[in-house]
Amino acid sequence: MHVGSRAVSHSAPARAGTAAPLRVGVVGTGFIGETHVAAWAAEGIRAVVHDVDASRAAALAHRHGARMAESLDELFGAVDIVDVCTPTHLHAAVAIAAARAGRHVICEKPMARSLADAEAMLAAARDAGVRLFVAHVVRFFPEYVAARAAVMDGAIGEPGVLRLTRASFRPRQPAGHWFFDHARSGGIILDLMVHDLDYARWVAGDVVAVHCRSASVAQPDTGVDHAVAILTHRSGAISHVSASWGYAPPTFVTAFEIAGSHGLIEQSSTATSPVAPSLLAGAADGGLTAMADTRLAGDPFRLELAEFARAIRDGTDARIDATDGLEALRIALAADESARTGAVVRLPQAAR
Amino acid sequence: MALDAAGGAPVRIGVLSAEHVHAPTYISLLASMPGAHLVGVWDEDRQRAAAAAEPVATRAFDEVDGLLERVDGVVIASANSRHRRLVEIAAEAGVHVLCEKPLATTIEDARAIVDACARAGVRLMTAFPTRWNPAARALESTLRSGALGTPVFLEGVNTGTMPDSHAAWFVDPALSGGGAVTDHVVHLADLFRWILRSEVVEVYAVANRILQERFAGVETGGLVSMRFASGVSATIDCSWSKPRSYPTWGGLSVQAVGTGGAFGIDAFRQRLAVYGTHETGISWPAWGPNADDGMLAEFLSAVREDREPAVTGVDGLRAVEIVDAAYRSIAAGAPVSLGAGQL
Repeated sequence: MHVGSRAVSHSAPARAGTAAPLRVGVVGTGFIGETHVAAWAAEGIRAVVHDVDASRAAALAHRHGARMAESLDELFGAVDIVDVCTPTHLHAAVAIAAARAGRHVICEKPMARSLADAEAMLAAARDAGVRLFVAHVVRFFPEYVAARAAVMDGAIGEPGVLRLTRASFRPRQPAGHWFFDHARSGGIILDLMVHDLDYARWVAGDVVAVHCRSASVAQPDTGVDHAVAILTHRSGAISHVSASWGYAPPTFVTAFEIAGSHGLIEQSSTATSPVAPSLLAGAADGGLTAMADTRLAGDPFRLELAEFARAIRDGTDARIDATDGLEALRIALAADESARTGAVVRLPQAAR
Repeated sequence: MALDAAGGAPVRIGVLSAEHVHAPTYISLLASMPGAHLVGVWDEDRQRAAAAAEPVATRAFDEVDGLLERVDGVVIASANSRHRRLVEIAAEAGVHVLCEKPLATTIEDARAIVDACARAGVRLMTAFPTRWNPAARALESTLRSGALGTPVFLEGVNTGTMPDSHAAWFVDPALSGGGAVTDHVVHLADLFRWILRSEVVEVYAVANRILQERFAGVETGGLVSMRFASGVSATIDCSWSKPRSYPTWGGLSVQAVGTGGAFGIDAFRQRLAVYGTHETGISWPAWGPNADDGMLAEFLSAVREDREPAVTGVDGLRAVEIVDAAYRSIAAGAPVSLGAGQL
């Protein structure tokens, strides 16, 4: 068992009746699939990968020393955990099939493209008796973890006003890519803003009303590039959540401010980067998709996947479960609806 | 009599009321500003008038008429809800007016202020110094140059400490008109109107009373979203979210996003970080230019040249309408419309 140094002390078997290491299959070998395969590899787990594009899967398997499965069924037969990294609209089909095959499921955020899909995923996991986790990686970024811990410790009193910002350039995917198709990805609100919608709920609790305005910056025909949601939490706290693909490369700024009844937390990635490269050669262009430089404080993807693997192995809770993923999706879909209709969307009381 | 830079007589200026925290700054700047002759200060509280006049050795007037008959223009720096009465007295005396923001605490009072000055034929300017902040001007010129392409979204933050540390009336709704929404929406609302050359047609706002030790007198937290006739959306965080331990009063920043990229400003970023003793703690004294300087100079020029100031009373009225819409939205829990453009 190699799921991070902290896991070594645990002796529980990977699955009932066996002490074999967890076997992981990653479905979907795009940007996030490759990120997860690399994180699994860093945890000592050689993933099995599958993609409808076999040549892409083969190339990724080659780069990371992973094995390749020709079909989903072959992958399901070879693993304990299915890590779903497909385009958003396909999460549900793969996750439900994996659950029905008796495999535990880790699903990339957003949980699904629709609430019905997300609920079907929950039901499938429940019926099959397998675990289901939604990978909201921001809950594993050290600055976000530290800020929430400070709030929970009472450092600023009761949270009152949150401002969360995620500002970057438009992902450099070709026209026609699923990412830019609202029907498949849900656009910037479901893909990017959902990180901070989940975080706002993690810090300030359930959300009862959502208002959102959005605008298209780069290419009006390919969807929304900038959106701001205003959330009202059940506690009375209010949150301003901004997500943008409107900035010039290589910008990737994440920032937040959490104001409480007797204090304030400020954090900005621009103010806390511990390195300041100004190199003549190899100037950064931001890459295909912007991503925080996570290596300097521990890789959040590794922390995340290792925590899910431990939870599956030990039958314990992780800091986020499928219900949290569903609630984040509910808020994101409400924001998307508000942006479209102009109205405030009120949410039913959450299930718990 | 000394000549000013433009070759005319200095503009004779008085200050009506020193209730507002900005009054000492105005008095100090006017006392040394070329082209200005600070005649004196009146306040209904004689002691406050004397205290305000003393640092620059100007005259403290006991009677408002005594000051008004000696000046060309006045700066009104009373508590918000007292603006109307003082503007009406000044206008009736034929004296031009620079009025502290917000112009009034109700649309009715703001309209009355605009009407009184129009009837009397005096100039009316609203104190929105942000238009003279160099970073704000850089944002405006970047938009004008086209470098930002078509603007699509403005996100503004004007947050600060709770101003009751300056004067108790700031948190008395009868005098202030409200809390953070009243205090901090108007600067950015005016800046946005100015740089976009467009009017707000819809406002959504939320507010609460959690910050500042759950101070209950007025709202301390607020978020406002607005849509302009041009199609641009904008938001303002107007919260009094800085605790008393914060090293400065607060700040004002904007992130503007357009088809050509993004442009950010942090208007009070030019500051030092000073680490003192355990008792004095950390402070961030500003070393950037004081935008009040440019604003006061514009008022003097407008009076001297007998022209409309760059920021008018109508600009002040529009900002009050936006604040009013924000409160209506908070009450309704839904976006509300503004009839843009009519006076």
